[in-house]
Amino acid sequence: MDSENSCYLSVAELCRLIRKKEVSPVDVVKAHLTRIEAFEPALNSFITLLPEQAMGEAREAEREIQAGQYRGPLHGIPIGLKDVFQVKGVRNTSGSKIFDHFVPDFDSTVALKLKEAGAILLGKLNLNQFSYGTTGENPDYGNMHNPWELDRVTGGSSGGAASATASAQCALAMGTDTGGSIRIPSALCGLVGLKPTYGRLSRYGITPLSWSQDHPGPITRTVEDCALVMNAVAGYDPRDTSSANISISDFTQALTNKIKGLKVGVPKEFFEEPIDSEVEHSVRNAIELLSQLGAEVLEISWPMYHESKAISSTILMAEATTYHSQLMKQHSSNLDPKVRLRLEAGYFISAVDYLQAQRARRLFYQRSCDLFKKVNLLAGPTVPIPACKIGTEEVQIGKTRLGVLPALSQYTRSFNLTGFPTITVPCGFSKNGLPIGFQMAGKPFDEMTVLRAAFAYEQATDWHQRRPMISKQVTPRLYGV
Amino acid sequence: MGEDIELDKKIFLPMAKAFGLDTRDPHGEELYAYTRNVFRDFKVTEDIDLTDLEPMATSVLPKE
Repeated sequence: MDSENSCYLSVAELCRLIRKKEVSPVDVVKAHLTRIEAFEPALNSFITLLPEQAMGEAREAEREIQAGQYRGPLHGIPIGLKDVFQVKGVRNTSGSKIFDHFVPDFDSTVALKLKEAGAILLGKLNLNQFSYGTTGENPDYGNMHNPWELDRVTGGSSGGAASATASAQCALAMGTDTGGSIRIPSALCGLVGLKPTYGRLSRYGITPLSWSQDHPGPITRTVEDCALVMNAVAGYDPRDTSSANISISDFTQALTNKIKGLKVGVPKEFFEEPIDSEVEHSVRNAIELLSQLGAEVLEISWPMYHESKAISSTILMAEATTYHSQLMKQHSSNLDPKVRLRLEAGYFISAVDYLQAQRARRLFYQRSCDLFKKVNLLAGPTVPIPACKIGTEEVQIGKTRLGVLPALSQYTRSFNLTGFPTITVPCGFSKNGLPIGFQMAGKPFDEMTVLRAAFAYEQATDWHQRRPMISKQVTPRLYGV
Repeated sequence: MGEDIELDKKIFLPMAKAFGLDTRDPHGEELYAYTRNVFRDFKVTEDIDLTDLEPMATSVLPKE
């Protein structure tokens, strides 16, 4: 098998080969490092690369597996972590040069769980500064580039995680999602991205943006891979004050390919928002396919959906400014100017505004939970447009002109407010060949139903099998491919 | 600040200074425009009836 094909194997395929000793973790890691060397100048997915450490870990994994000490599906699998997951001894910048030399002395819980599962860390991934953005643009470490078209945004904030996974620089990545930061880049790069229920994965050791809306989660190329990662990283952690002490299922048990009788609610409010016609067409086709697969599709109304975005923003801005207030006193001129504006505007949100928003959030949460008395899932678009060009400030969607940040997070923010488990899967491509995402959400802690529907949809389509043609977009002389 | 949706610049400037923010232009003007937009967006939440509702806390999602 050639290097490109081996790097594009899913985690599920790769782990079967590694377990059977048909493929060596050393060769797998070497192939990914070669690919990183070839494409990283064009993609800029990583802030910190760890080639020597990764090769050392790969040799250790190989030794363990040869000795019969196979740890499970992630053993020997090359991964990337968004540069907000602290890893002992590896610098953690959070996307800001202010922290260019910050090296944590402990592991975040997610990083530790992945290490214990035998995953091999290739490096720390680029992001919008402090996760405060939706495009994958970063003035300190350079913009991330969408593998499907290099002058397009990856989406953010976990843009490096998405570009690295979509380009097979790594087999999977972990991101965080406060207003869509896993789902937006996953949708724009043609990937599966899961924001699990708030409290399902530990936030311990992750640079916060908005404590009450931050969700860590996996970015993968298939739904099965997503379930495999969830098995390794989900679970109660007493070091995270919001961690849920709740039983964990084997998430792969959700992959039954059966959705007959599942009730899927499509909020009519989604299509009252500005939406690109190609995106709407693809998403409506995806909903139709769920129906053909046996799901019962119902049009519903989501109370307070339109208001929920302002509620989410109020809480996010107040919490982000509070977290970064000390930093702003000393380093405001060193911040990304867009991040600086957002953080400074947060000072004008009063305690009364914040608490009113948290009261409104409770009402929205109650009303949203009520929807699940009628349906098992909510479904709709992930992002209203395909990836825009890097540097775009505003986008035109139909007759509406919107700032790029609110446009890209239009459909995702409400699910951060409720904490519902929400997945995006690829559901088509624009005429220009840019990926389109389809989003499904379940009731709290019902990742199983979300994964079940996502898997059934994925298995009935081939969108996830397409690959970006990166080598045709870069100069072979420069990148050696 | 929810009630002062238009956020008069005469109110904005002393507040920004009290927060220790740089109000010199062009940054001051940019921040003023940005903050005004934020306030305008918040207006949609003003008519929600919140009677008898307590604020949602961070760890409130139902447990098993």
